[in-house]
Amino acid sequence: MALLRVTAALLLVCAARLGAQTKASEAQVKAVFLFNFAQFVDWPPEAIPDSQAPLIIGILGGDPFGDFLDATVRGEHRGARPFVVHRYQRVEDITRCDILFISRSAGDRPEEILSRLKNRPILTVSDADGFAERGGMIRFVTDRSRIRLQINPEAAEAAHLTISSKLLRVAEVITPTGR
Amino acid sequence: MADMKTVAAATSLVFTLGLVCSVPPGFAQQPDSAAQRPDSSLSPQALKKLSIEQLMNLQVTSVSKRPERLSQTASAIQVITQEDIRRSGASSLAEALRLATNLQVAQVDSRQWAISARGFNSTTANKLLVLIDGRTVYTPLFSGVFWDVQEVPLADIDRIEVISGPGATLWGANAVNGVLNVITKDVKDTQGLLLSGGGGTEQRGFGTVRYGAVLGSRARARLYGRGFGRDATTLPNGQDAADDWHLWQGGFRMDWDAATVNRVTLQGDLYDGRIGQPNAGDVAVSGGNVMAKWSHTVSDEPNLAGQLYYDRTHRDIPGTFGEDLDTYDVDLQHRARVGTRHEVVWGLGYRLINDRVVNSSALAFLPAHVARQWFSGFVQDEMTLVPNRLQVALGTKIEHNDYTGFEIQPSGRVNWRLSPSRTLWAAVSRALRTPSRIDRELFARVSPTSFLAGGPGFHSEEELAYELGYRHQQRSLAISVATFYSRYHGLRSVEQLNPPAADTLVIGNGQDGESYGAELTADYRVTDRWRLRAGYAELRVHVWPNPGSTDRSGGASESHTPDRQFFLNSSVDLRADLRFDAGLRAIDDITNQQVPAYAELNATLTWQPTSNLDLSLVGQNLLHRRHVEFGAPGATRREIERGVYGAVAWRF
Repeated sequence: MALLRVTAALLLVCAARLGAQTKASEAQVKAVFLFNFAQFVDWPPEAIPDSQAPLIIGILGGDPFGDFLDATVRGEHRGARPFVVHRYQRVEDITRCDILFISRSAGDRPEEILSRLKNRPILTVSDADGFAERGGMIRFVTDRSRIRLQINPEAAEAAHLTISSKLLRVAEVITPTGR
Repeated sequence: MADMKTVAAATSLVFTLGLVCSVPPGFAQQPDSAAQRPDSSLSPQALKKLSIEQLMNLQVTSVSKRPERLSQTASAIQVITQEDIRRSGASSLAEALRLATNLQVAQVDSRQWAISARGFNSTTANKLLVLIDGRTVYTPLFSGVFWDVQEVPLADIDRIEVISGPGATLWGANAVNGVLNVITKDVKDTQGLLLSGGGGTEQRGFGTVRYGAVLGSRARARLYGRGFGRDATTLPNGQDAADDWHLWQGGFRMDWDAATVNRVTLQGDLYDGRIGQPNAGDVAVSGGNVMAKWSHTVSDEPNLAGQLYYDRTHRDIPGTFGEDLDTYDVDLQHRARVGTRHEVVWGLGYRLINDRVVNSSALAFLPAHVARQWFSGFVQDEMTLVPNRLQVALGTKIEHNDYTGFEIQPSGRVNWRLSPSRTLWAAVSRALRTPSRIDRELFARVSPTSFLAGGPGFHSEEELAYELGYRHQQRSLAISVATFYSRYHGLRSVEQLNPPAADTLVIGNGQDGESYGAELTADYRVTDRWRLRAGYAELRVHVWPNPGSTDRSGGASESHTPDRQFFLNSSVDLRADLRFDAGLRAIDDITNQQVPAYAELNATLTWQPTSNLDLSLVGQNLLHRRHVEFGAPGATRREIERGVYGAVAWRF
């Protein structure tokens, strides 16, 4: 129920026109996207130690969000799971993580990072060029001052993550193997 | 004595011959759809309240900041988005325009529409400027639009910006009462294969194939082909009006990001269509266009842009009229920041038309073949008087045309932001409707013994417009009000020769007029899955003869406009994969055509079983078996029938 309420509150399309009228910083909007992704992804049961285990959003490499991501998730829950932000310098440091933002400063070779995470139930997100084509799950594309999403559902499936059709519908679906 | 009747007959003859023209030059501009304010930084709490779609629509600042386009926000602008179009079930561009509540949209027959803003509507409405990706869709015959050859594939449209009120300073002559900007999607947003099709009772059958692909690392291209057949409308006695309509169309677009700051776009379309006529051979229409655009971007915004296009259109109305029109157009625009408070936009344009008509004994344009050219330039200074609070834009267009020489169309606009959620704007503009061929070169037989002729001295119709508007946006509710008062001088009239000659009537500038009214819109997100939009417009148009004029029509041939319109649209996501949309419109009567007031309802149910498949069922004009929207009373006035169709769209 708490989950439903949180979801409803989050999705409440209240400030319909706020969006049209106001500019926000790119990093801030991306931080809110990361938080929102938790509502649109289902993790496999084995990825969740218990119903109150924290839902961890990790940042690999330099943190572009400052404390905005922390402020965004403060006091928020998905169901009974509180959100927590962790920062990692190296892939090896990543123990349990649910959503991982791979910063550009983590290097321009996402394949290496992704291969080390291979098939772990972690939603991988980045704004690196070609991230979704190269095996990442969600890429932020900044296009004429707006942020679009590219999603590679095959990569998510391989990690046993289920991405809601509601999110897929607004994103550009990337299928690397189909080309 | 016979004058009223003859004039009415003359004008109705001319205006029902199936000509539909629009307006002149304009610059190819792709303004941003939404007003942006760079200053306010949003809290996490505010951002978290937005849906994913809203987050994606949020303008973000990354590199540079720029002020909003004052010309856009200090005017009555409405934006129809791709989602609005898709959810409405609209099957043609004209139908989609019903979503803009600041337009008057009336279906005349299977393929003809009367579309205008702020009155003066007719099948040859001449005060609305229509642009498709910056290409002016305009016939020099009567400064209007032939809507039956503007069938942009709806799935390719990114958005339609609808500005009611003058836009002449930036867009040029004939943007007297409105500007309509159809902007198609970037190629990168149409990658992959789209197959769609369907059919029903009025939309007999339609299908579209579109394919978008990557060409190398910096270029992408798409191709499309489509075709449709529309059922005929109905005559008042219930008989089929035999005006069924078939069109084939294909086209391409290529976007090439030559460098991070340079972008080149090439696009074009070809079409071929036939429309039935009850007592003559089919009307044949065909044509195409090709366009090249280039833009150079510095600091996040195109600040130098050029475009070049060629458009060709052919129309044959057997027994009545034929036309071959070639249009060549080139435009250039530059935008620069001067100091901290000024942003100056200026542009230059040139257009050449080559128009050859095939005359008949009923209708002629003399000379049959003309070449005409237009030169234009504009400059506008957008000044920030108080940062983030008060902005003023002053500008003018200077244009030279072959009929009236130099014409000047200045405007001043003020945008005053009362608070982050409330904006007040005002504008004063002078706009002109420059002469078209019908005004000067027409020769039409009105009765066996009388003629209507163009006036060799016909000059531009002038408008002075005063506008005041207010916008309020708070949480889930956005409302806007635009009010206006316009004075017109030298509106088109039909004059008897002096001394009155019973057999010849001449077009003149013998009428003056005024219009005033208000346009209200409200957009309310009731819940995250239910959106309501309402629009209401009050409009009055009065036209009277000048001293010396013999035209006593009171503008009855210039404006056919309902006094009020009301719209209510509801969009509900019943489930994640099921959407239901309904749109109600209530349109007051058109007094001078004796078109009764009517209300109609459209409804669309869309099921999306998988993310790449849409199945929809659409009902159009559901409340009545048939109804009239436009046209002089009589045995040939067309009635629009209820329609139902099903459609499938598959993307992969």
